[in-house]
Amino acid sequence: MRRRQKHQDDQAEVNMTPMLDIVFILLIFFIVTATFLSEEGLDMRPPPDSNTPPDANAPPPIVVQVDDENQIFVNQVRTDVDRVLSAVNRFRSEAPNSAVLLEVRDEADHGIIVQIWDEMGANGVPISIQRSRGEAQ
Amino acid sequence: MARRASRVSTGDEDVELNMTPMLDVVFILLIFFIVTSVFIKEPGVDVFRPDAQTEERLNPSMLIAVTSENEIWVNRRVYEMSQMRGVIEQLLQENPKGRAAIQGDREADIGIILDVQELLMELGVEVHISTLET
Repeated sequence: MRRRQKHQDDQAEVNMTPMLDIVFILLIFFIVTATFLSEEGLDMRPPPDSNTPPDANAPPPIVVQVDDENQIFVNQVRTDVDRVLSAVNRFRSEAPNSAVLLEVRDEADHGIIVQIWDEMGANGVPISIQRSRGEAQ
Repeated sequence: MARRASRVSTGDEDVELNMTPMLDVVFILLIFFIVTSVFIKEPGVDVFRPDAQTEERLNPSMLIAVTSENEIWVNRRVYEMSQMRGVIEQLLQENPKGRAAIQGDREADIGIILDVQELLMELGVEVHISTLET
């Protein structure tokens, strides 16, 4: 009676060590390869093309141009990068709800464009980006 | 004699560890790491990204870096603009619902970044401009 019980106990016990080895190796692999990627960013995509004509009553956009030497012009007036917002706000006080159209030359610096975009976004000014075709004034 | 036998038996029980709780913990850790792991291909260059306040959290699966020398880096290699379509299509095959983030250097030309963005949009990829993490 005693011996039989002992024998049954031995059979019920599964040796987990090899499985544990494998699980540990998998665990270490996933820990090592895990890259806790945290990215932050802005959505700078232009709005999709629409066939509907623009609202005739909408105020004309404030054109912010950035030329290839990173000079900034707000409605043709040269401005410093830190004063773009105040210049835009001055125009917006005359024509509220007007949007900003950012016209950039291909050689302008990415950093300046992102800075302007971010400032406008933070102050709730609608903004869109467009490549400048002609020469900036 | 009887006492001796019982002593041996307790010694045996001491040696044998109950591994089940540890196994449970290890399995939970394993599942956590499997679920959270994203096999993302890093561009392989450090770019000095612009800072912004209105940024949102991204969960990209495709990273494209544009350096201050206007080189386009994907998966630790430099590509020309003309090669980018093929590169992105290949990345899309691996992860069709992938979203992209463009890591542009502050001094990179906006034209290159807009080119890459337009290409990604043309291929139907959701694309964001990566900014400095705060």
